[in-house]
Amino acid sequence: MNKRKWMNGLTAIIIVCFLILTVLIVSFYVTKFKEPQRETGFTIIDDLGRAVIVPKSPQRIISLAPSSTEILFAVGLGDRVIGVDDYSDYPEETKNKTKIGSYLNPNLEVIASLEPDLILASDMTSNEYVASLEEKNFIVFVLSPKTIQGIIRDIRVVGIIGKKTKEANNLADSLEHRINAITSKTSNNTLYKPRVYVEYYPYWTYGPGSFGNDVISMAGGKNIAGTTVNAYPEITNEFVAMSNPEIVVFTIGLHTSTTIEDIKSRTGWDKISAVKNNKIYTIDDDIISRKGPRIVDALEQLAKLIYPESFSSK
Amino acid sequence: MTIDFKKKYVRWNLILIGLLIALFFAIVITITIGSVGPIGSGNPERIPIQAVWDILFGKSSLWPDTYKAVIVDIRLPRILLAALVGCALAVSGAVMQGVFKNPMADPFIIGLSSGAAVGASISILLGLSIIIGIYSTPFLAFLGAVLTIFGVHFIARSEGKVKVETLLLTGIAIGSFLTAIISFMMYMANEQFRFLFFWLLGGLYKASWNTVTIAFPLILLGTVVIQLFARDLNAMTLGEEPAMHLGIDTESVKKILLIFSSLVAGTAVAFTGIIGFVGLITPHIMRILVGPNHRILLPASALAGGIFLIWSDTIARTILSPTEIPVGIITALCGAPFFVYLLQKSKKRSCDSYVAQN
Repeated sequence: MNKRKWMNGLTAIIIVCFLILTVLIVSFYVTKFKEPQRETGFTIIDDLGRAVIVPKSPQRIISLAPSSTEILFAVGLGDRVIGVDDYSDYPEETKNKTKIGSYLNPNLEVIASLEPDLILASDMTSNEYVASLEEKNFIVFVLSPKTIQGIIRDIRVVGIIGKKTKEANNLADSLEHRINAITSKTSNNTLYKPRVYVEYYPYWTYGPGSFGNDVISMAGGKNIAGTTVNAYPEITNEFVAMSNPEIVVFTIGLHTSTTIEDIKSRTGWDKISAVKNNKIYTIDDDIISRKGPRIVDALEQLAKLIYPESFSSK
Repeated sequence: MTIDFKKKYVRWNLILIGLLIALFFAIVITITIGSVGPIGSGNPERIPIQAVWDILFGKSSLWPDTYKAVIVDIRLPRILLAALVGCALAVSGAVMQGVFKNPMADPFIIGLSSGAAVGASISILLGLSIIIGIYSTPFLAFLGAVLTIFGVHFIARSEGKVKVETLLLTGIAIGSFLTAIISFMMYMANEQFRFLFFWLLGGLYKASWNTVTIAFPLILLGTVVIQLFARDLNAMTLGEEPAMHLGIDTESVKKILLIFSSLVAGTAVAFTGIIGFVGLITPHIMRILVGPNHRILLPASALAGGIFLIWSDTIARTILSPTEIPVGIITALCGAPFFVYLLQKSKKRSCDSYVAQN
């Protein structure tokens, strides 16, 4: 009874069916089509520090993130964009572009059928996914700026890639001009910086090293979560009550349905300065969370909320 | 008696041949389903059905290169990886349920998934796939899975023996511990958080011919070795002592089954993240349909798991096209009602019996 039959019929069947699979796989592997002939291009270092060979004049661009879509359109490359991710909704023209799925896992079949000669990704798409796109012979250039200055630089880089250097530099210069106009006013207030709390989701805010933290400090505010342990911390009622922010800003967007009443009714929040003085404001989530040209709009709006008197002349 | 045996073998072979045909048709039909057609939303364009057959039979020069890229380079490896991973998870689940005599057991019961996730999260958080290479995440995930299993086995061992109850509890404890580490890393991960979260959800979107070529021999080896120990697994379901009286070296059988089922499940997890439900439910469904004898249960589960995951993934990548939804949603959404239906139908039979006669 215990004598083991090492090769019974079932095992044989299993092995045979796997062998068939092997043959299929190997044959497809061998006949896999040749690497397409690429036009020679030029090499640019992207924000991941990789040397990417981009085509001399990309004509069919796919954008995997709302931020890179906005940059492409802002430097006048909108007509060469053939596909965008599901969340790219600005400017209006993106509505007519083919959607290629979410930036987390874009749809490979749709991307391949669009035949892009360049894919712009952001840090919303994982390194793994970028690597697997390159494994399939797509050219991927990653824009993942860490500061507002980084966005300005990326705008110029996109201009170089798309042969729109003039437009891109004009845009970058005007953005820098606007930024300087703000910081020249906000940096005068070196003695006292109002305490600011900005939340992008109930109780979730920008911590040190985050982009929002950078925007708040450039706008001349002191981020109450600026010294927490991580970049996107979840804070508590106690923390807010103790920090006593003078200005509370919450974002309005896809993921939030917060109202001013919600903020006021949170436990302990009735004691904080911002609620007492009714300094509760909203900001468009898209402009503060996307690392594109509109970040300067967010900066201007925040600065005006923090220093209404300095900007009242405008 | 001999006639009974013959009947049984004929029935088993028929079941396997039926499942093989179903697997074949699953592959052939789903190769025509996807975002760009022939069956699917067909946006931005629709590949004609004729093109699919031409490409599969080597006449691809008649059609644009992109068609071939979609069918051969993107869709086919994904279907094959789904078949391999479904097979791996189902076999591994069947083994775990048999070894632990526990209907709740799945491939991840003793912490394999948490170990793999720790490995993957290290790679993702450090961005190793750009620095070192594209396979650093699967490699570290696999390493994490295997190390965890060996660690659990080592901790649970006393006086050269491993009691299954101790193993189970140790595995659950280590698993919870590792899960807490992952949660903490996710909390501290800032921008990388979403990638880790997404990895944990699991999915077949990273399939390529390279992943299929790596996963295939590992899963094949594990499945075949496990199949060779099907009789011993049958005896083990009687309990360890009765199995020992039958002359089986339960300690080494346990160890071999554990190692090889972790090998196949670890390979699957490395490439696809944690896909739930396939490994838990497929063996149960097959136990209801073909009986508890592991000699038929294991290969039947393997084939059924492959078929199940191919169809689930096809739905996941097509239904909201171009957006893909996590395949775990589909496996649970479709698998659970079917399982409940089978349970209801087979109430009279004792469907959770793990005991089989050789």
